[in-house]
Amino acid sequence: MLMPLKAISAILSYPSTDLQAAGPELKAALAEGDLLTPKLVDLLSRLVDDIAGMDIYAAQERYVGLFDRSRTLSLNLFEHVHGESRDRGPAMVDLVEMYRAGGFEPIASELPDHLPVLLEFLASRPMAEVKDVIGDTAHILENLQTRLTRRESGYAAAMAALQHIAGVKADAAAVEALLSVPDEDPDDLEALDQVWEEAQVTFGPDPAAGCPQVRDMLANLDQPVNQPTDGNRATAAE
Amino acid sequence: MSHLLDRLNFFQSKQLDTFSNKHGQTTNEDRAWEDVYRNRWRHDKVVRSTHGVNCTGSCSWKIYVKSGIVTWETQQTDYPRTRPDLPNHEPRGCARGASYSWYLYSANRVKNPLIRGKLMKAWRRMRKNMEPAAAWKALQEDPVLRASYVKTRGKGGFVRATWDESTEIIAAANAYTVKTYGPDRVFGFSPIPAMSMVSYAAGSRYLSLLGGVCMSFYDWYCDLPPASPMTWGEQTDVPESADWYNAGYLLLWGSNVPQTRTPDAHFYTEARYRGTKSAVVSPDYSEAAKFGDIWLNAKQGTDAALAMAFGHVILREFHLDRQAEYFEDYTRKYSDFPMLVTMEEKDGRMIPGRFLRADDLAGKLGEKNNPEWKTIAWDSENGLCAPNGSVGYRWGEDGEWNLEERAKGKDTDLKMSFILEEDHDEVVGVDFPYFGGEATENFHKCDHPDVLTRNIPVKKIKSGKKTITVATVFDLFCANYGLDRGLGGEWVSKDYNDDIPGTPAWAEKITGVSRDKIEAVAREFALNAEKTNGKSMVILGAGLNHWYHMDMNYRGIINMLVMCGCIGQSGGGWSHYVGQEKLRPQTGWQPLAFGLDWCRPPRHMNSTSAWYAHTDQFRYEQLSANEILSPTAPEGDWDINLIDYNIRAERMGWLPSAPQLKTNPLEVAKAAKEAGKEIPAYVAEQLKSGDLEMSCEDPDAPENWPRNLFIWRSNLLGSSGKGHEYFLKHLLGTDHGVLGKDLGEEGGAMPKEAKWHKDAPKGKLDLLVTIDFRMSTTAVYSDIVLPTASWYEKDDLNTSDMHPFIHPLQAAVDPAYESKSDWEIFKSIAQKFSEVAPEILGVETDIVQLPILHDTPAEIAQDQVLDWKKGECDLIPGKTAPNYIAVERDYPNLGKKFTSVGPLLEKLGNGGKGINWNTETEVHHLGDLNGRVLEDGVSKGQPKLDTAIDAAEMILMLAPETNGEVAVKAWNELSKATGREHAHLALPKEDEKIRFRDIAVQPRKIISSPTWSGIESEEVCYNAGYTNVHELIPWRTLTGRQQLYQDHLWMRAFGEGFVGWRPPVDLKTINADIQDDGDNLILNFITPHQKWGIHSTYSDNLMMLTLNRGGPVVWISETDAKSAGIVDNDWVEVYNANGALTARAVVSQRMKDGTIFMYHAQEKIVNTPGSEKTGHRGGIHNSVTRATVKPTHMIGAYAHQSYGFNYYGTVGSNRDEFVVVRKMRKVDWLDTPATQSPEAAE
Repeated sequence: MLMPLKAISAILSYPSTDLQAAGPELKAALAEGDLLTPKLVDLLSRLVDDIAGMDIYAAQERYVGLFDRSRTLSLNLFEHVHGESRDRGPAMVDLVEMYRAGGFEPIASELPDHLPVLLEFLASRPMAEVKDVIGDTAHILENLQTRLTRRESGYAAAMAALQHIAGVKADAAAVEALLSVPDEDPDDLEALDQVWEEAQVTFGPDPAAGCPQVRDMLANLDQPVNQPTDGNRATAAE
Repeated sequence: MSHLLDRLNFFQSKQLDTFSNKHGQTTNEDRAWEDVYRNRWRHDKVVRSTHGVNCTGSCSWKIYVKSGIVTWETQQTDYPRTRPDLPNHEPRGCARGASYSWYLYSANRVKNPLIRGKLMKAWRRMRKNMEPAAAWKALQEDPVLRASYVKTRGKGGFVRATWDESTEIIAAANAYTVKTYGPDRVFGFSPIPAMSMVSYAAGSRYLSLLGGVCMSFYDWYCDLPPASPMTWGEQTDVPESADWYNAGYLLLWGSNVPQTRTPDAHFYTEARYRGTKSAVVSPDYSEAAKFGDIWLNAKQGTDAALAMAFGHVILREFHLDRQAEYFEDYTRKYSDFPMLVTMEEKDGRMIPGRFLRADDLAGKLGEKNNPEWKTIAWDSENGLCAPNGSVGYRWGEDGEWNLEERAKGKDTDLKMSFILEEDHDEVVGVDFPYFGGEATENFHKCDHPDVLTRNIPVKKIKSGKKTITVATVFDLFCANYGLDRGLGGEWVSKDYNDDIPGTPAWAEKITGVSRDKIEAVAREFALNAEKTNGKSMVILGAGLNHWYHMDMNYRGIINMLVMCGCIGQSGGGWSHYVGQEKLRPQTGWQPLAFGLDWCRPPRHMNSTSAWYAHTDQFRYEQLSANEILSPTAPEGDWDINLIDYNIRAERMGWLPSAPQLKTNPLEVAKAAKEAGKEIPAYVAEQLKSGDLEMSCEDPDAPENWPRNLFIWRSNLLGSSGKGHEYFLKHLLGTDHGVLGKDLGEEGGAMPKEAKWHKDAPKGKLDLLVTIDFRMSTTAVYSDIVLPTASWYEKDDLNTSDMHPFIHPLQAAVDPAYESKSDWEIFKSIAQKFSEVAPEILGVETDIVQLPILHDTPAEIAQDQVLDWKKGECDLIPGKTAPNYIAVERDYPNLGKKFTSVGPLLEKLGNGGKGINWNTETEVHHLGDLNGRVLEDGVSKGQPKLDTAIDAAEMILMLAPETNGEVAVKAWNELSKATGREHAHLALPKEDEKIRFRDIAVQPRKIISSPTWSGIESEEVCYNAGYTNVHELIPWRTLTGRQQLYQDHLWMRAFGEGFVGWRPPVDLKTINADIQDDGDNLILNFITPHQKWGIHSTYSDNLMMLTLNRGGPVVWISETDAKSAGIVDNDWVEVYNANGALTARAVVSQRMKDGTIFMYHAQEKIVNTPGSEKTGHRGGIHNSVTRATVKPTHMIGAYAHQSYGFNYYGTVGSNRDEFVVVRKMRKVDWLDTPATQSPEAAE
């Protein structure tokens, strides 16, 4: 079994007193083999220590705030790929079938695309397959890493470690697309509004980034019926 | 993958095998690409379910499941066929429903039970060394610990919990609250049982066994039209959508069927193909307006004036100048037109008073039973008589409660008018109130006086020494519409062009609709009804009902329908589709939902009054009773605050209370026992002496706070909570945005009945529990969030007003993550409660305070308004005050009771709406079907209620709508009261018993039952009032007829005896302090339902947003936009004293000047891109609202104006609100060139 993957799966799970107590085991598992660089093992060990050293309630609140409540940090991988489209169902069916073909039956209440679930499965798979599967998720992991780093969260190390294992560079465009969604902080009431507000949908390329010619054309075309008088415009500009 | 390289593009292989005599050939090319499509559509089972959302479309869907995961859904198209010549129902299910399945796997789902971390920590510390209830007690009694989690509500900090631990905290909190304050301090709010009735029943069953309070929703949502119980004694009963097809004339009024009733709208289209004419009344050019042959763009909120003008024309042309035979006949039989009203004198002037009753006459016309509740009419041969069917005949005697044209066993020919010389003794001037002059500057202000005296033909009746002056309702009614009948005098007219209140010319000024259009539509509407015997229909909606004076809009329309004989005729009638939550198997559901199989009565509360008091909105009331009082009001103590009216209503047993008594009812019961007294007598004595107080008199005292609140199937704080910020401030005690001052700070008129606390409490709730499948705003503010199953993960039942089928929800897949169905959740709470309770509770006696209920013999308790507290009468429980009833609570056995059918059904029977039948057979069958409890204890041998399907079977078995045998029994019971045979309506279906598995196979049509006033048959569609008209079953009103005159003292005091035009009220939310200089655009804030959301919820869906503009929008007219320099797609800010919101403007010719539309119940809308006005966090669309109650909705103990849960009571109106609208200043709109010079642009 690829113990580092198993360990990362555990570290990314909901913190419990068991997890806090398992620090030494986890650290040993992370260092097993040469899957991770010493630097990554060190970063992850710090995360392990951090979780173990915290008041359990604080650790749990932090976890719920990050991974249960923030959509952009969801550990359900397909949230970032299929989001709310109906392709999500068939995609999850594919995953379940992959687990079954590998000789496992999912029993936990988590959905099959939950990252710790996937990692536990991959821990028992040949390295080539591991690289292949994690490689497919590289842009999601990169996205999660960037967002977690912005929040100065130690959990970013787990995403860095997984990308290292995959050994592929994430497709920059895909990462950028994922990162274009703003961060959220579920403890912040304004952010809470934003989670629920009717976010503006842009059609086609982002007009704010749009090409100057089109912008000029738009400006020329923009002769609204109720063109405000200069007086109004002056007021509005103030 | 494209599989491009797997395919031959330019060749076909020559090595082909053939088969079927060379008609078929085999190829060798790779066909793996086809798997893409196979995989897309693969599934291993298909399950029927529906969306239990509040649109109550109740549409059949096929859910496709693969490997335990929902992969897709399609509309199911196997509804039973309709009869010949009527279009079929399908396809039902709209694009919005089709976008549902993402919710199942959304990141917004609640995955585990969540508890506020600070609460969890404190709890575990206490729980270490203490039993659960003691631990909760210690936590509550430590102010620092309590504040630690109360003040962080809405601020994150959740941790996951196990089901065991979270249910233990809830059970401990409930037990402590029951013990310390009383069970009526545990509240539960859940709306619209029809959308998933077992899920609703799970929570209400738990609460009812506990003695907790179930809160109403229909009135709180302002979907209840109080005009319906006023006129018909019926909550709401309407035609199914298929009946639109049978109409000859369809008037759509404030309802936007093509947009908001998608699955039903095809009947509207089909009706038009059939040749039905349609007129649409709507201030904006709505989707419905496009369907209309004629569009009447009446100014918003002026519908009553338009309805009065319609009525004026119809009366003039079909009742006065010419008497349409059908109309005359119909109104004589089915309306109160022939009933006599006494004229009362006030300051030497005559005003319409009470209905004349047998009791007022010497000798009482020989009526011994309920003479004060038998109304009187004039028979052309025998003079005064008490016609069959009035409420006096309903109770205490059998056989005459019917609409046969008889009185005292003799045929009658009732006079509708005393207009002929030989019929009246005199013509007198009678005063009618007129409110048209009270309009604010936003509406047309009439210069007619506030009292209009009109001439009325009257009879003088000698009764002993008294002489009583009486007039018929019809004569007064015509005068109220301003019709000149040749009697002279002022304020009546023969000419439609006179500016007399009631005429088309008058309405034209108020509504903006031209007089000739008014005349034409009124004439066509009535003419069609005359020719078709009533097939003219009005479809009306929230555009009318959400106004403070909604009763006037509704009664204006109801009057038209009654004048034209449309009610109770297929293809005609009153189609009120607002909160269309028809719980068809209601009488089967009630015992399950309210635990009536174990203990009666349950505690029910009208939410509007409860939230008004408990969120302290009453402390900020700006509307005074004097502003809405009639100039003709009888003498009385009317100058009190609106909350004071509510308190009087509770005290007189009109409205319910929650909590009920300031002292814990368990303690009161003990004291009564010690004193050796019967409970009602003891409570009465203590209330009179003042030793016992009603909670309503002091809502801010800690003893009277609601302590625990369950919210399930609802987003109370995110969507439906009018006065959102007041909820946050006072009920929850967390950060809030209340800007205004309360009456104390402001120096306003203080309440006289409600005790005032200088400092209002903050944080009344000890525990807020929300059960939801998504992390809604309500969940975010809760202390405990429990994850529930969504609509494809649970078994349940669903019904609708819109079609006659009963439909299942089914668990296509297991609930995701740790979630459980509502039934399983409340079952586990009930069981945990039984484990925790013995620590502090045993078998207790509770005292339930019960208001005087409609459809019970008690409903005729108070023909006069007398307040015991003022010494006007004695306190007699159940007569002059609420009843006080002892109920045994076996707390340690609550779990066992929850999961079994109790013995009271066999003992007391089952029923509803005033009829009761023996149901032993059904309970026996249910035991055979569900199995019986084998375990020892209170429930041994009782039918099991273990699963949600068991619960569904209980509903289906007990309800006449789904069990033909019960239907026949129920009709036979009704026959006793009416003296007429009705069972023929159900006999052909006596053997039919609909079970859960039957509806899983195909939706089933319900069986005709006396619970409802329509029938299901091969001849007619379901239509309200059908059995009243065709079976001569009286309406459940004072007169037994459709009652167009309301004679209760408070109705007369507030000037609503007859319909009238009442302009929207002034809520005073825009003043100099609030309005910024230069912001001059003031618009009426209207919140209709939208096209791009699932009814009033769930617009937070990418697909829906993509179809709309993709963000929050408001709609305004071109003229209004121009006046404020706003162009289409500008960001605008909308504000008033209650708060602010921002959105993009849709500038449209569709809009009527003076209005702004914001679609209802978008969740979080403020701070996009950030309000400049408030600078601090605003909130939801309800941040700009506050509930305001109306005294006429509090009336009780008066036949049809008696309380019923979700049936009558105060309503939360919100259309009278005005807002300031301005363009936002700091947003780049891309309307200036990006480049500064032409060269650079090249």
